[in-house]
Amino acid sequence: MRMSLDIVGKNMIRVDALSKVTGKAIYPADVYMDNMLYGKTLRSKVPHAYITVNTKEAENIDGVIKIFTCKDVPTNEHGVVFKDHEVFCSKKVRRIGDPIAFVVATDIKTCDLALEKIKVNYEEIEGVFDPISAMKEDAPKVHEGNNIMYHYKLRKGDTEKGFESSYVIAENTYKTHMVDHAFLQPESGVSYIDEEGRVTVVVATQYPHYDREEIARALNISEDEIRIINASIGGAFGGREDISLQIHLALAAKEIKRPIKVVYSREESFISHSKRHPLIMKYKTGADKNGKLLAMEADIIGDTGAYASWATNVLRKAGVHATGPYYIPNVKVDSIAVYTNNPFAGAMRGFGATQPPIAYEQQMDILAEELGIDPITIRMKNMFKKGSETATGQILTESVPLEECLNKVLEDMDLNLDRKGAY
Amino acid sequence: MIEIQLTVNGKDYTVNIEEDKRLLDVLREDLGFTGVKEGCSEGECGACTVIMDGKTVNSCMVMGFQANGSNIVTIEGLEKDGQLHPIQQAFIDIGAVQCGYCTPGMILSAKALLDKNPNPTKEEIREGISGNLCRCTGYSKIVKAVEKARGYEDES
Repeated sequence: MRMSLDIVGKNMIRVDALSKVTGKAIYPADVYMDNMLYGKTLRSKVPHAYITVNTKEAENIDGVIKIFTCKDVPTNEHGVVFKDHEVFCSKKVRRIGDPIAFVVATDIKTCDLALEKIKVNYEEIEGVFDPISAMKEDAPKVHEGNNIMYHYKLRKGDTEKGFESSYVIAENTYKTHMVDHAFLQPESGVSYIDEEGRVTVVVATQYPHYDREEIARALNISEDEIRIINASIGGAFGGREDISLQIHLALAAKEIKRPIKVVYSREESFISHSKRHPLIMKYKTGADKNGKLLAMEADIIGDTGAYASWATNVLRKAGVHATGPYYIPNVKVDSIAVYTNNPFAGAMRGFGATQPPIAYEQQMDILAEELGIDPITIRMKNMFKKGSETATGQILTESVPLEECLNKVLEDMDLNLDRKGAY
Repeated sequence: MIEIQLTVNGKDYTVNIEEDKRLLDVLREDLGFTGVKEGCSEGECGACTVIMDGKTVNSCMVMGFQANGSNIVTIEGLEKDGQLHPIQQAFIDIGAVQCGYCTPGMILSAKALLDKNPNPTKEEIREGISGNLCRCTGYSKIVKAVEKARGYEDES
């Protein structure tokens, strides 16, 4: 007997819909507290340099309460997988927008004035801005050691043999660009010490539990001394997975013991948070006379910018999905993440599965054209069905309704496969 | 500092503001209407939309002193006697709300449109909300919600 479901398959009214249509939903910037101070972040203006920072003059400005730098952070590091970010840059900046200092003052105008008066001496060093150059032995190093921070290898069957028996081979390189999430609500937050003495941060975040862990580590206090309150979130799409202002706010509240508010401008939001990984995808795909795929090789290079963020997971996923939804007996994929001095790349809608379709679907079209068959026919011949084996060796035993989906599309588009150039 | 007088959601206010303060900040900071959202600060996204003397404006692009003597409607002013405005109800019923950050501006743009043109076509609705961005890409449902609210009788 089929279980009846209360929620699945039905349109439910969101629990927060009423508060959002009436303007009562509270996003972090909507929090105003008594005795509240404001904070602002000083960010690197150059992509690669050794720095020295002098805050003396700025500290003497009326209304400036405190200026935080790397010296004030017990454990000056964070990062979702690798702790390669610094809370504040200590010796070196690795991208435009790297945080250097955090000013707390009585109002925003005083914060702005103080930012201008902080002296940063940049001793610029050569940067590297494309991942291919960054992979070379003699390229400038973004962190200690090699710029190649991850290499995923997928090997199945024998691609050389597969290409030998191929009737057509398509070889092309595809590039995708960096994308910003541009969530509508720029980063903002308020921190304070709550009635139980806990360092409290009100923030719009995708990971309140990670935020707490990162703050505990950086401030060297225990997690139960920290409280993260997730306010309404004005869009995120992966862009709120990394730390932005959480540690700065927590550090300031712990030291100053007054509420502190931070609201990023749109510009600061763009400059500071992650992007979608731009990928360079070199593909070689072979098929027999009938359009059956025999072999595929893909070299995928991802520019993760100055920090790793989720690069390992994103490039692994790009590699796992490199064949697309098509059965190919012989597959070789190398998917590499590389540090550069560009804005760092991380999570964004699709997490590495979004970029490869640009490559593998065009490969399918090109092969179809060379074979003189319909682009739909070539897909029908190769697509995953129930029982298919993926390039990673997984047997698909559950729902694989791709054929059904494509047939439905054809039906509704009234396409006739026999007609030449039907697509 | 200058003194300005304005009516917001039917109530009169007199406030002393700094000359360089935007209407957006006057509404949020001085008067507490935090339903007015700041998204881009340059008149592109429409999150800070309010109705000023019957017309929608981006409140980030209007200086506080320019609002002197004006009549403003924010999202907080749409409910009447505890009853949601039909557009608000339609946004809930259709599911036109996701992250919610564009919602106040969207609803106010829809109201300004329906006040002038109670029976807009789909195309006119799209044009009416063209100054409001939604990054959750919920436009279809937003248009549907405005269609559902189309022809409402504004009793105000």
